[in-house]
Amino acid sequence: MFRTFLLFLLFATTLFAKSYNFTELRYSDAIGRYTQVDGVIEFFNDGLKIVYPKAKKELIYKDDDLHYLQEGREIELPSLQKAQMAQYFELLGLIHRGDSSEISEMFDISQKDGMKILTPTGSIKNYIKYIQLQEDSKLFHNIKLFLQNNDTISITIDG
Amino acid sequence: MAKHINLTILFTLLLVGIFSKDSLHLSTNLLSLFADKKSIETLSIANNLGYSREMLVAVKGFDSKSKKKVRQLAKEFKKLKHIKYIYYSIVPTEKIQQYYKSHYGVLADFDNKKIDESWVKKRLKEVYDKQLSSVFYTNVNKSDPLSLFSLKSSDVLAKSHRGSYITLGDYGFLMRVVTDIDPSDMNYSKELYTDVNRIVLKYKDVVVFAPFFYTVENSQKIQDNVELIMVISTLFLLFVYFLLLKNMKLLFHTLVALASSMLFATLICALFVENFSVLSLAFGMSLTAVSIDYLLHYHFHNFYQSCKKVDKNVLFGYMTTVAAFVILAFLPIPLISQISIFALLSLSFAYVLFTFVFVYLDIKPYKELPKQQTQKSKNKIPASVLFVVSIVLIGYGGANFSFNGNIRDLDYQNKHLLKLEKLFKTNSSTKYSPVVVEAPTKEILLKRLHTIKKEYKDTFSLASFVLDTKTCMEKKQKLKEYDFEKLKRLINKEASKIGFRDGYFKDAYAFAKKDISCGIGDDDLFASYGLGIYKDKNRYYSTVFVKDTKLLKEYDFVTSLDVKEMFRKSAKTMYRDLVEFGLGVLVLIFALLFFSVKNRFVYALNYILFPFGVTLAVLTTFTTINIMHLFSLIIVVAIGIDYGIYMANSTKEQNTMTAIKYSLLSTFSAFGVLIFSSITALNSIGVVITLGCGAILILIKGMR
Repeated sequence: MFRTFLLFLLFATTLFAKSYNFTELRYSDAIGRYTQVDGVIEFFNDGLKIVYPKAKKELIYKDDDLHYLQEGREIELPSLQKAQMAQYFELLGLIHRGDSSEISEMFDISQKDGMKILTPTGSIKNYIKYIQLQEDSKLFHNIKLFLQNNDTISITIDG
Repeated sequence: MAKHINLTILFTLLLVGIFSKDSLHLSTNLLSLFADKKSIETLSIANNLGYSREMLVAVKGFDSKSKKKVRQLAKEFKKLKHIKYIYYSIVPTEKIQQYYKSHYGVLADFDNKKIDESWVKKRLKEVYDKQLSSVFYTNVNKSDPLSLFSLKSSDVLAKSHRGSYITLGDYGFLMRVVTDIDPSDMNYSKELYTDVNRIVLKYKDVVVFAPFFYTVENSQKIQDNVELIMVISTLFLLFVYFLLLKNMKLLFHTLVALASSMLFATLICALFVENFSVLSLAFGMSLTAVSIDYLLHYHFHNFYQSCKKVDKNVLFGYMTTVAAFVILAFLPIPLISQISIFALLSLSFAYVLFTFVFVYLDIKPYKELPKQQTQKSKNKIPASVLFVVSIVLIGYGGANFSFNGNIRDLDYQNKHLLKLEKLFKTNSSTKYSPVVVEAPTKEILLKRLHTIKKEYKDTFSLASFVLDTKTCMEKKQKLKEYDFEKLKRLINKEASKIGFRDGYFKDAYAFAKKDISCGIGDDDLFASYGLGIYKDKNRYYSTVFVKDTKLLKEYDFVTSLDVKEMFRKSAKTMYRDLVEFGLGVLVLIFALLFFSVKNRFVYALNYILFPFGVTLAVLTTFTTINIMHLFSLIIVVAIGIDYGIYMANSTKEQNTMTAIKYSLLSTFSAFGVLIFSSITALNSIGVVITLGCGAILILIKGMR
């Protein structure tokens, strides 16, 4: 099972080596509705960049620092929101890098219905119930975060 | 039987030593030797607050590899004995998160403005719209949907991290490891030091520092250094004694007597003197060798063949030296009082052996050598001239005098650890120093911490996280007076109309209605931030981190933990005490000297003033004076006085000069080798005694 997971991560790493279009589908338990945003994600050494072309907004996470730009102009985010987003991006970067030892340090890994389930063991368990990673033979994959407040965030890399 | 008394004494002492082996204890903690009781107590409280029990680990760089190293190191350290906590993340511990949850109502600032229906409606609509329009995920705070409560984060913590990892300035990531090691506990310190270094060696670009590393590395270095010096000194002395005495039997018995004297003093000190130090032992043993001047004087004046019970000159010399050490034994500087006690015991024991036991040993008389061509008296410098020269030299030394109060400079200068300590200090971006705040109760402690916080906002203490009782009660009252039930009903009504799920806010503001306890229950709750509470003898202590510790001087409940400053203060007090006691010793010596030599007072006085002046002048020209220089100067005076009495009262000047020259040579052999020590404290003693012996030699040769 673990070997399959490693293969998936290797696959994911190859897939993420350049910019990818993605679709982010969020479920807000507060309003009981889904919202969808489209963007481009790019991974690089120790960071990532997400661009939302329609909204002309960019998020750059590098060296543990998060920058938010709107139409090229940097905007300061509230510290709590910034910290939460940074933690989320750190997690995306970690899964992208596919370092199995790092992942196994932070999560209990299991499999359910052909999907990898990462259950956090550290402090992020206060925010995230678990993460679901979907494997597919096609050039496509999906990461879904199940949050403690019953919200979900699902990121699908477009094939 | 009487012939074997010397050996019997040694064997008896050896037997006592073997039987009491387990009760003998020697300390290798050098700094505690120089600190006053209050400083030691403060350091002990600081230890209990975790201040010097912390181990700092820095991993160079900020990339993911460095982060991985941090996590792996933490994993390995966790397995070690003596490790209590490991912190490398700013994410609060589970316990702190729980505390925030349960105390959120009073910890956060509550805006209790009057709220009307339209404002609630408008606010909820904004929250709703944001869920649909925001490109970033934002959660809805179902406990406080109107954001009436706001919690400020601590600036001190915010400045020193990257992401969730704690950083050491621009150097890399930092890990704080709290141990249960008392830095003065050699065995545990060594055990953890070995384990930690075994782990760290496997990683590149990782440095570790902890105060107890000094205990391990310095103690080992000091022990090696002292052992080497003692071996060199012993060999040198053996050689010198053999050359001087040319009498194997006398040499053998002299060595037995010296060994007995040292053993006697060692047994008494190691059994009864609290924290008797290995350094005091080494120095005390060297001092014992000074007692050979009694033997030399007796031997060269054929005292053992005469029927005299005592030799007045030797008795006066012994009494003067012992009187000086009696005064110094009361000095509140542990090292000096320990050495003085040892010297008192060993010199007295040696005096008794050389005076009352050696007469039974059938020692062959000393055959006077044919009279040597001595320097003509008229070519010698008059005592009055040397007296004036001595005064000038003392005046010059006094004018150039500069005192080095940094006691840590006396310790072994462990360059490797000093460099590491500096690396952590210079790279730390927070630049905060700890002070200890004390109070009779926890409540008063919190109040005092808040008094400081109110006056000096840029401080970091428990006041940043825990409210004082009065403010907490006021906040609780404010919450009690607010109608959260009514607000919740309004929120739920309006939220449903806007489009939120029914009942989503059913528990809104429930946290504000809970009964919140004021004060701090768990003393270790914020220990991860270095902010624990320690109780000792009905007093409570906690730490405040401040940029400039001098700012808090005005508060009598605050004690600085700046070790350098603490020891500087301690050194100042020691300096004052040493000068006071030194003056006492001088007065006593002058009185005894006058009583012993009467009309040759100036001549004998030169044996004190001239070595003192020469040594002081040379030292002040080339270096700053430390506490050990001052102490050794007193020793030089104590040695000088013996020779002054012998020379002033001598009827057989040639024999006295020979005895003194040989005695000087042996003193130089015992102390001179200390010059080669890399421990500043010992080196300082070696320099002073060597200079002093040189000056006395000049007097013997050149004064009339």
